[in-house]
Amino acid sequence: MYLPDGYTTLEKISENDDHILYDLFFGPNHPGMHGNFGYVLDMVGTEILKVRPNAGQLHRGFEKAMENKLWAQNISLIPRVCVPDPDPNEVAYCQAVEAIMGVDIPMRAKYIRSIVLEMSRLGSFLMGMGGVAGALGHYTTMYLMMIDRDLILDLFEALTGARVYHIYNIPGGVRRDIPEGWTDKLLALCDRLDQKLPEWDRLLYENPVVQDRLKGLGYISASEAMASGITGPSLRACGVAADVRIDTPYAAYGEIEVGINLSGGGDALARAVQVRLDFEEAVRIIRRLVAALPGGDFKLDVGNLAKLRVPAGDAYSKVESSKGEFGYYVVSNGGLKPYRVSVRGPSMPAGMYLCHKHLRGMKIDDVAVWMASFAICPPDIDR
Amino acid sequence: MSLGEKSFFAPFATLANLFKKPETIAYPAEDLNVHGKIGPSLKYRGMHANDHQVCIGCASCETVCPTAAITMKSTGASDAELKGANAQRPVIDYGRCCFCGFCVDACPSGSLGMTREYIYTKPSEKEDPLEELVWKRDMFTIEPGNRWADNPGWQCTNDETWLDLDRQHMHHMAATERVGSFIEFVTGFTKEEALREAARCIECGICTKTCPANMGIPEYIRGIYDNDLDESIRVMYETNPLPGICGRICTHKCEDVCAISHRGEPVAIRWLKRYAIDALGPDRVTEIATHAKELFPPTGKNIAIVGAGPAGLSAAYYLSTMGHGVTVFERMPKAGGTMRYGIPSYRLPDSAIDNDVAAMIGMGVEFRLNTPVGEKVSFETLKNDFDAVIVAVGFPGGRSTRVENYDHPDVGLAILLLNRIRLDEEIPVHENIVIIGGGNVAMDIARSMARLQKVKYGKVSICLTCLESETEMPADREEIEESREEGIVIRDGWAPKRIEIAEDGSIKGLQCVKCTQVFDENRRFNPKFDEGETSFYKGTQVVEAIGQTADFSFITDEELKQMGMDRGRFKVDETMESGVKGIYVIGDIVHGPDVIHAVADGHKAARSIDTWLGGH
Amino acid sequence: MYDHIFKRAQSLHGDKITCEKKHPQQLEIKTDRHYVMNLLSWLKTESYVHLAFISCIDWIEENQFELVYHVYSYEEKNHILVKTRLDRDRPWMHSIIDVWGHAQPYEQEIHEMFGVYFPGNPDLSGLFLHNWKDLPPMRKDFNPKDYSLALYSLKGMGHEALDMDFIQEITELEVE
Repeated sequence: MYLPDGYTTLEKISENDDHILYDLFFGPNHPGMHGNFGYVLDMVGTEILKVRPNAGQLHRGFEKAMENKLWAQNISLIPRVCVPDPDPNEVAYCQAVEAIMGVDIPMRAKYIRSIVLEMSRLGSFLMGMGGVAGALGHYTTMYLMMIDRDLILDLFEALTGARVYHIYNIPGGVRRDIPEGWTDKLLALCDRLDQKLPEWDRLLYENPVVQDRLKGLGYISASEAMASGITGPSLRACGVAADVRIDTPYAAYGEIEVGINLSGGGDALARAVQVRLDFEEAVRIIRRLVAALPGGDFKLDVGNLAKLRVPAGDAYSKVESSKGEFGYYVVSNGGLKPYRVSVRGPSMPAGMYLCHKHLRGMKIDDVAVWMASFAICPPDIDR
Repeated sequence: MSLGEKSFFAPFATLANLFKKPETIAYPAEDLNVHGKIGPSLKYRGMHANDHQVCIGCASCETVCPTAAITMKSTGASDAELKGANAQRPVIDYGRCCFCGFCVDACPSGSLGMTREYIYTKPSEKEDPLEELVWKRDMFTIEPGNRWADNPGWQCTNDETWLDLDRQHMHHMAATERVGSFIEFVTGFTKEEALREAARCIECGICTKTCPANMGIPEYIRGIYDNDLDESIRVMYETNPLPGICGRICTHKCEDVCAISHRGEPVAIRWLKRYAIDALGPDRVTEIATHAKELFPPTGKNIAIVGAGPAGLSAAYYLSTMGHGVTVFERMPKAGGTMRYGIPSYRLPDSAIDNDVAAMIGMGVEFRLNTPVGEKVSFETLKNDFDAVIVAVGFPGGRSTRVENYDHPDVGLAILLLNRIRLDEEIPVHENIVIIGGGNVAMDIARSMARLQKVKYGKVSICLTCLESETEMPADREEIEESREEGIVIRDGWAPKRIEIAEDGSIKGLQCVKCTQVFDENRRFNPKFDEGETSFYKGTQVVEAIGQTADFSFITDEELKQMGMDRGRFKVDETMESGVKGIYVIGDIVHGPDVIHAVADGHKAARSIDTWLGGH
Repeated sequence: MYDHIFKRAQSLHGDKITCEKKHPQQLEIKTDRHYVMNLLSWLKTESYVHLAFISCIDWIEENQFELVYHVYSYEEKNHILVKTRLDRDRPWMHSIIDVWGHAQPYEQEIHEMFGVYFPGNPDLSGLFLHNWKDLPPMRKDFNPKDYSLALYSLKGMGHEALDMDFIQEITELEVE
């Protein structure tokens, strides 16, 4: 076979009269791959026989680095554990620290945190839905969603000073109060997002091609999902009414009504639709939070943050992110720096375990769609 | 939402978007305009700007930087030029900076801010990769200045800062309660309060440079914060052998320059020192203070010190740590000097002095008490019998205003009255008293007299007049406020003219004229009066507290001249050696009344004597 | 509310087990390593079906590793931290992949980062670190800074690895 210079052939593993087995690196630089992660696929034709996750290309030793920084300094590192949805990380870490310290933050700070969390989820959902669309070749839909994501980022910029790495939550509350007129802009954006939903329905969810591609892909039953550590929208898509915000309320979620809508079905289509339902609910939650936003302090006085000393102890804090349960297990030995910070990312069970079951026998064109439907985000595997 | 059949026309839905205004922005022809101002948001965390006039070089930004992007670069200015600041400014390596803005939130002076500028690029000029690395490092390493200051972004207010701006409240007895007794009324920090207060320190070290004794303040505060009081006390004794006393009555020049004071209340350095001493207990403190005893073998040299005030005690401690034999001659029955016989016990109880003197006794210093030099032992003998003599006699006498009728028997000198109060002597206390002077001694006598009045008459009636306006008064702010709380009336800006005598011979009161200026432009004492404006303060007793004098009767006038006496004070260089070889002068008689200066002088004299005697 | 978990756990394992309520909706069970498998299997039958993750802590001063299994019940809405200590010199623990399949990557990761062995886990190969020859990096006695300085000299720029003079030079540049 003729190949121009610079091209390589697939690595041939074995062959017999009927089949040739190839080793295919799917990612890290594949357009359907989310970040620096990859699967090594043993292929016969376009069918997958075996899969080997190829992690570590993003490994920056977050957990080790956190042991060498002050309690408050870690906030600048933590949002990097999940780039599209950074705030659940910040909040989970701060809540764990506050739990060890045994302090209760002001109500306004809790509300602001919840608003920020919901905004972060919205932005991430748009990216997730766009990811599904993109993996299916619906790039226009993806770009339309990116426009709205950028409008959310504008509001983040006005509130936190940065678009992506907000570095906004600190142990004790948040770093800045809400600027004047900001909530009005947020409500206006909520209206816009609501208006956008029918268009997305038309473009994406009601599209027969999308439905055919997603239906039945990566099916998982409710009991298997629960026993495999699947959380968040992927679990709700199996018909399980589980949501960290409702089950173990944190921030201001105990104060307001949080609705839960289940798509049910357990396949990729159900997961995609679940994300859309969660998106709709998140917009409603933001409206409720803004309506009930109390006055008062936006942070608790915990003394000089640069010399924050957290008493010895440990706590696990979890937050409902756009992908599922994001958890931080923080251990302190009473020092100026954490003794251990252990991160529970929502992508690990699907990305590292379920892939063995699901990808076997799958066609190569479905791999990116399958990953997008489980919202697998490699930084929280490679933390 | 329905998942039904799709309409035949659905694909044309995208056509509607064809004629829409694009959502994208054609940068740089236009820029984002959603934040009320073209460009990024008003809080944007972009490139830094630093006002060098306001920056104090405290390196707080360097400490909190999570990526170690900030280093401090020396400005080359000398410390003398920079009062209350370090001669260094932050330099930021933008190859590392993550734009978190922690540096801004932790800046105590508020000089550092971030701007809305975020584009900073240049094409590389180097071809060699190593050269390019160095070039890049240079290009991306920026000392923030005013370059982008006109476009501010992320700034920090007092509500938002990381620093703890509020001091821990120090517990006092209530004014009505404390005015009735001479018991120490400041009760000290509890452990929780001390830890919280110690955590406020950002360890910039500006205080260390300002302290006359250059105490390692950040280090001992760190010791308190780390709950390692032994280390804390060790650090204190490196530069100050009277920490228990200074922890109560030091004039705390360190707190005036504290970095935190730019935004909030300074760290309570003095009270933290007191906490460390009190919390560890006198026995352990003495043990730590005297641990140096075994380090140096005795040198066989002997030094005489005249006066057991703070300067003399300090010199005695440090000389003995170097292995020299020290004998202190003191005219009073106990060591301590003005600290014991001048400062009232509600500010400095005897136990605090005794605890600190225990360290000197532990070091083997010989105290010859009740031994006034010139009477029981002559100055000549000291010069002959000892290898070196330190004169640390201080200011035991008071100065008089010498206004009309100053020699009336009911007119007293503050320092002498305080002395008698400390010796438990009965002193005359009238029902209405006028005090002249605006310094700490005036406050001491006013508050002491207030206590005596309270005991004797059940009420306080004291009027304090001074030349200076309240902002210029040399007394500590807290002293002025506490005096007011105790019922003392302060009339500032009045100069005493004459003491009026009634027909029966008793004092009627003090006649004053308005003082319009105390210091001239060159900060020299040059009072100006407005004779037209007068006031009269009623009182049958007048106390003068306008200054103190030394007593050098044991030294001949000729020798005093040789030693460098000039208008009541000695002029000496850093070695503290007087004009006569082997005689050193330290303390109030050199620098004026101040405990911490005296301590510093004692340390300096000890070092130079050690060098001169061939020391270590 | 969760007393039955405590009571039952204690009746199963006696005084080898300590239970404590730490935070709202968060319990801690400390147990001997031998009972962990039993305890976790039992908890799974008691509606604690969700294994959130497994974390490991290096208590170097006590010469122990601590494994923390995070399990959660969707019914009782309760999170349990099952903690057990291992000898740091010979750290190993039964694999729990028979109970929870997705424990496999977590155990693989702990093996790589701390050097804890999990007999029964079919794949303990390197997960994140490529060509790693040093100590397991999450151990407290591994110093990442020294490692980086020793490894990442500017070899690509014509300098040999471990050229300390050059590293010194670069470090000084940084300080200035």
